[in-house]
Amino acid sequence: MGDLSIQDLVVEYSSGGYAVRPLDGFNLDVAAGSLVILLGPSGCGKTTLLSCLGGILKPSDGAIKFGDVDVTSLDTRGLAKYRRETVGIVFQAFNLVPSLTALENVMVPLRSAGVPRQQAREKAEQLLARVGLEDRVSHRPGDLSGGQQQRVAVARAIALDPPLILADEPTAHLDFIQVEEVLRLIRELASGDRMVVVATHDNRILPLADRVVEMVPEFAESYRPPTTATLKAGEVLFEEGTMGDCIYVVSEGEIEIVRELAGGGEELLWVAGPRDYFGELGPLFHMPRSATARARSDAAVVGYTVAVFRERLGAGGIRDLIAHRPIEMDETTATQEPD
Amino acid sequence: MLLAALRDMQWRKRRFVIAILSTAIIFAMTLVLTGLANGFRTEAQRTVDALGVDTFLVKEGASGPFVGATPFAPVDLQRIASAPGVQAAAPMVYAGGTVTLGDSTRNADLFGAPERGPGMPVVSKGRPPTNPTEVAVSSTLGRNEGEDIQIASRKLHIVGIVENSTALANLPNIFLTTEGAQQLVYGGQPLVASIGIRGTLNQVPPGYRAINRDGAVADLLRPLKVAVNSITIVAILLWVVAAMIVGSVIYLSALERLRDFAVYKAIGVPTSSIAAGLGLQAIIVALAAVVVGVVLSALLGPIFPMQVIVPAYAYVLLPVIAVVFGLVASGTGLHRAVSVDPATAFGGP
Repeated sequence: MGDLSIQDLVVEYSSGGYAVRPLDGFNLDVAAGSLVILLGPSGCGKTTLLSCLGGILKPSDGAIKFGDVDVTSLDTRGLAKYRRETVGIVFQAFNLVPSLTALENVMVPLRSAGVPRQQAREKAEQLLARVGLEDRVSHRPGDLSGGQQQRVAVARAIALDPPLILADEPTAHLDFIQVEEVLRLIRELASGDRMVVVATHDNRILPLADRVVEMVPEFAESYRPPTTATLKAGEVLFEEGTMGDCIYVVSEGEIEIVRELAGGGEELLWVAGPRDYFGELGPLFHMPRSATARARSDAAVVGYTVAVFRERLGAGGIRDLIAHRPIEMDETTATQEPD
Repeated sequence: MLLAALRDMQWRKRRFVIAILSTAIIFAMTLVLTGLANGFRTEAQRTVDALGVDTFLVKEGASGPFVGATPFAPVDLQRIASAPGVQAAAPMVYAGGTVTLGDSTRNADLFGAPERGPGMPVVSKGRPPTNPTEVAVSSTLGRNEGEDIQIASRKLHIVGIVENSTALANLPNIFLTTEGAQQLVYGGQPLVASIGIRGTLNQVPPGYRAINRDGAVADLLRPLKVAVNSITIVAILLWVVAAMIVGSVIYLSALERLRDFAVYKAIGVPTSSIAAGLGLQAIIVALAAVVVGVVLSALLGPIFPMQVIVPAYAYVLLPVIAVVFGLVASGTGLHRAVSVDPATAFGGP
């Protein structure tokens, strides 16, 4: 049907009153017929992106174009039609309807698209045969293995021959034998003009991909000597939502830690003074910063990489770090951070 | 989606069967209560119709010819009987009484009227009473011709049986001559409760009030008005309970199937189809409960010591009201289902 183009995609929602942006200015261009893998840990925005591609979630900003369709400009009715005719979804937990047989599950999208019952039945039988389940048509999901359920889900997803298939963690609940069956099937789906987008944190399926999109930039754990940064009052040390590899200890002045609110504005979480440390969880767990650090007055901070910080804390220190307990650090001569 | 709704009912059949049976019991009780209330009216109507009186003439100020009667001397009887349009006029007596049957006593309604009426019903066995010591009794009293019964201190001889003649919640009717009733009720004084007229009375004489059959039925039902109202209130409460049962089952069904609905929406199934599926479940539960309820009410009715006469309109109204109530009560579940966010289809189990 066409290429996929995602421009400056922003998804923002409120969580506990704070603004959360799982996707912030995301861009992607993929050619038709590709198998794209969205790789990243939980919470990095993979499923959010799939929801936007599937017309299930309306982004806060940005544009998604699939072929000639501007997905982000469709109204509710248009989105339902887009979901029905353009997108097929394979869910993480299979999401087959437990009361329906395998055949009836595959018939659901066909019937809702107005295909007559007999015709829908024949088509569903063909699809189940295609995924190797011709002898399981009258079985309910509970009587099928995880791999078989996922194959039924794939058959349901391709029932209306959509040009875009979205798969959310398709191997999450499968053993290695079942994974193999499903991977083969997914690879086969990305043929002709059909595009398949798979969200996963399973590295095993990377060799299948035509394109791998890392949702969180990987950075190797570095071992750099501590660096001192001097900040003017109001100057930002790091911003919420960005990635970073340093934990900071205040040498002089004060640093305010603020978090963006859902309705605009920000909330002051706390003020770090001399010998206080901050910004430890993001680098430790490879997550984006959950708050912004800004100099409240002229200040100086020493930035430690996680490895250096861990080394200086000694045994058991990391536990104190995660719990944000006061810790004793040796005074260290830090290099001046270059401008 | 309708197939999916039916399959879901099959999948959770135990729950739906329990809901259908619970609702059916409520519907059966509603029908029985409706039948009871209707039974009171029907037996009163039958009794009044059986008297063969077109108009009851009572004293001004009296509210009816039976319960609301004010005794009066029928001094104008001849004049009224000869009025234009009047075919016959008769002095009538009514009172509640107690009948002694061996060791037991039963309440009864006593009617006094001339042998040939108006006011004397057709007997199914024997003949009407012709003198003050004779009575015709309802077949529901359980006595036969030739037997004696005792009312107050008087022993009366049964000469006729009137088939299934009851009033005031299945109390048997006992018919005497006017004189016989006057001896029992008024100590032999020549007083009457009303003058029963067959034909048409063009002009009501001064000091009197004319009451038609409907008015007479209402008067006979007056002591039961509170009971009928109470039964109606209970019936309404039962409707609420039935609606809540249907509503809760559909709501629970919707809650348990939220993930299914999210998946349906995510794969493009129109919201209206999802709502139609749930609505179909509500309709099936309600209609199945109606069918079982009707059967149950037929079994429960005879157990009651009163007449349970379910009106035909109740059988027509019940499924209509049941479906409407079922759909209204399922509104919360329907709303929950149609407002589910399809994004919830993503994520783990």
